[in-house]
Amino acid sequence: MINQPAPKKLLDWLSTRLELEPFFYFAKKKTVPVHKHAFWYYMGGIVLVLLIEQVVTGLLLMVYYIPELRSAHASILSINSQIEFGWFIRSLHSWGANLMVFFVFVHLFSTYFMKAYRSPRELTWLTGLVLLVITFGFGFTGYLLPWDEMSFFATKIGIDIASKTPLIGESLANVLRGGTDIGQHTLSRFFAIHVMLLPLLLMPLLGIHLWIIQAHGMSEPEPGPTDTSDEGSYEKFFPTFILKDFMAWLLILNLLAILVTLMPWGIGQQADPFAPAPIGIKPEWYFLAMFQFLKLLPPTVGPIEGEQFGMMIFGGIGLVFALIPFFDTGASKAWARIATLFGQAVLLGFIVFTIWGWVS
Amino acid sequence: MNYPFWVVPYLGSGWAIGIMSIIHIFVSHFAVGGGIFLAFTEQLAYTRQDERIYDYLKRHSFFFLLVTTVFGAVTGPGIWWAISLASPNGTQFLIQNFTWFWALEYLAFAAELSTFFVYYYTWNRVSRELHLRLAWLYFGISICTLVLINGIITFMLTPGSWLQTHNIWQAFFNPTYWPSNFLRLLIMFGLAGMYALITSSRIRDENFRAYMLRYSARWLLPIFFLGPIIGYWYFSQIPQAAIQNVFTGIQNSGVGNFSILARATYLALILSGTILIFAFVGPYLNPKGFSFKTALLFLSCGLLVTGISEWTREMLRKPYVVYGYMYSNGIRKEQIAQINQVGFFRSAAWAAAARPVIPEPATMGPVVGKGEVIFRYQCMSCHTQTGYRSMKRLLGERDREAIHGFLQILRQTDPEKNPYHGIMPPLAGQDEDVEALADYLNTINNTQKQKLSYAE
Repeated sequence: MINQPAPKKLLDWLSTRLELEPFFYFAKKKTVPVHKHAFWYYMGGIVLVLLIEQVVTGLLLMVYYIPELRSAHASILSINSQIEFGWFIRSLHSWGANLMVFFVFVHLFSTYFMKAYRSPRELTWLTGLVLLVITFGFGFTGYLLPWDEMSFFATKIGIDIASKTPLIGESLANVLRGGTDIGQHTLSRFFAIHVMLLPLLLMPLLGIHLWIIQAHGMSEPEPGPTDTSDEGSYEKFFPTFILKDFMAWLLILNLLAILVTLMPWGIGQQADPFAPAPIGIKPEWYFLAMFQFLKLLPPTVGPIEGEQFGMMIFGGIGLVFALIPFFDTGASKAWARIATLFGQAVLLGFIVFTIWGWVS
Repeated sequence: MNYPFWVVPYLGSGWAIGIMSIIHIFVSHFAVGGGIFLAFTEQLAYTRQDERIYDYLKRHSFFFLLVTTVFGAVTGPGIWWAISLASPNGTQFLIQNFTWFWALEYLAFAAELSTFFVYYYTWNRVSRELHLRLAWLYFGISICTLVLINGIITFMLTPGSWLQTHNIWQAFFNPTYWPSNFLRLLIMFGLAGMYALITSSRIRDENFRAYMLRYSARWLLPIFFLGPIIGYWYFSQIPQAAIQNVFTGIQNSGVGNFSILARATYLALILSGTILIFAFVGPYLNPKGFSFKTALLFLSCGLLVTGISEWTREMLRKPYVVYGYMYSNGIRKEQIAQINQVGFFRSAAWAAAARPVIPEPATMGPVVGKGEVIFRYQCMSCHTQTGYRSMKRLLGERDREAIHGFLQILRQTDPEKNPYHGIMPPLAGQDEDVEALADYLNTINNTQKQKLSYAE
């Protein structure tokens, strides 16, 4: 014991007091399947790292950001131009948020196409879907906070769209706005939702999501007809997989550093609620597909208002995603095929409408 | 003054050189660092009589041959072609000033290539002792190519006391010569290790693969432990005005003149830090999990850092080609007063000949304007019309008078009167030249085009 190195002694000390032995045992036994689709296992870890980065940079931004109508824009300007390395932290937050949403999508579709939602992982899938909605919520509420022209009008459009949600639309819009117009109440609410409500919802749900993943282990996709040798083999989670995971995180953080340093995040003119909306207002890229789809709809579809019809379609897609584990259970090849085709159609539609919205 | 221009639309001639140069640096640094790697590793194989290392080296040297000779042969002449067109004055000056060093560099380069061909094609054909000697010979010659070219490259940023004495030895052994030599050697070690990780990751024998990956990863250690010290030495020798230009205000704004250089420096530091961690957790701690694809990504990060650092070094020199002596547009510092006195067109030997070789812009009418000739000569080494550092964007909403006022500021050589002093070369010419340039610039950002006559 006396000759043990200091880190080992510290670990033993902690292990005795915190009962860490089962954790070490779990880490030692945990394995990760090795197959040709194993690359997609890294996506969840990447999202987690980007989330941590969001929390850290978000806390730093909160030190200087003022969620008040006359000061919000000025405080962001000050962060960008007066606070030492404020531009760096803000760019990390903004670019990091976009990267996080991107990797959430990649994680969602990769687990979907690997059929990782099947029994006993239905709850992993469902909690993941709710986490996706929370991520959207972070994006939507965070976008307004700089209170510049683009964010103001994009939020206005976003809330208008949300108001078309069947049954709850108008109430939801009123709650978000804090009245009939976007103003101080909206800013305060968005700030509170962004920094308090959503994190409070996210943390326990993320904990459950991660706990279920640990409980069931990594899902293995069904081997295809051309899959060969590596099938059925496993590697240790600790240290083999976690070290590879760590390399993936470093690469993503490098990508983030490239974006932040070469394209620092700017800020537009201060929002003027009485000014006409500038031409070409668009929401963030991850809402562009929905935005573009709604633009294409006629004013009415039968007896229903066009945008309301669109919201019903989005709701329907979300519902199918939520229910898919209960239909495609692995027992029926037909359902498996339908689920795959549905996912491919949604993904293709998302990409096409996003690009369309971007260029139009 | 020499040939007035080489127009590279959108990209600009600077980037045409830059892209080729950066690719060439990836190759040339591998040519030297990889040579050192081959010599040390073959020595290891010879000492241990390890057939597995010999087999690996044969495959690695084929990779080395392909990268250094194919890419090197394309990009090396490409740089000469581009710099002689984009910066004829700078090229001419460097050739004349360093004639014998260039000659020696060519000799060393020819010897380097020949030695490597002999090295590669004598695997299993000569004794191992002789082959090892070839490896060390290549090592020595490749170092010679580095120490020769390094004197010329470093001179461009830190001519030091040559500015007063014009002594060639002082030019060659300039203030950053030694730190740059050591720094480049360290970078070459690191890159050699990264390239070796690519070939090592393809070894089939698991144990030997792990051994070679760890061995290759260790080649990154010198740059990370000695790099900061040598880097500090190097930066301490650079003109402080250049450093100040880059970092002033960057902590606060992240924008402004040259801030991209400071941001690029931060990026290089961040990437370097992560490369060190990457090398440790990847090939060193977990060689079994280090795949060929990961090695490629890892090398991409290393090349990115190298490219960014080289670009930053090049940009530090701005607005000069040779710091304190010749501006980036080829006009020597001492020529400014003379051009101001006699006028631009009476100083430019090729101005009269310029007319027939300039393509006629559709917006400009039948003859090329004087202003455009001045623009191409004095501005286009850094700016393009509508692409990189676009004049259209930089001029913004300025009208003809505002442009003229701005040009008057650029004529000033007093830093108090010209905020762009130290960032841009002073505009050289008489009043009529400035008028002509203002007329031309006005056609770039304003829809009302003016037809100007070169013969005016």
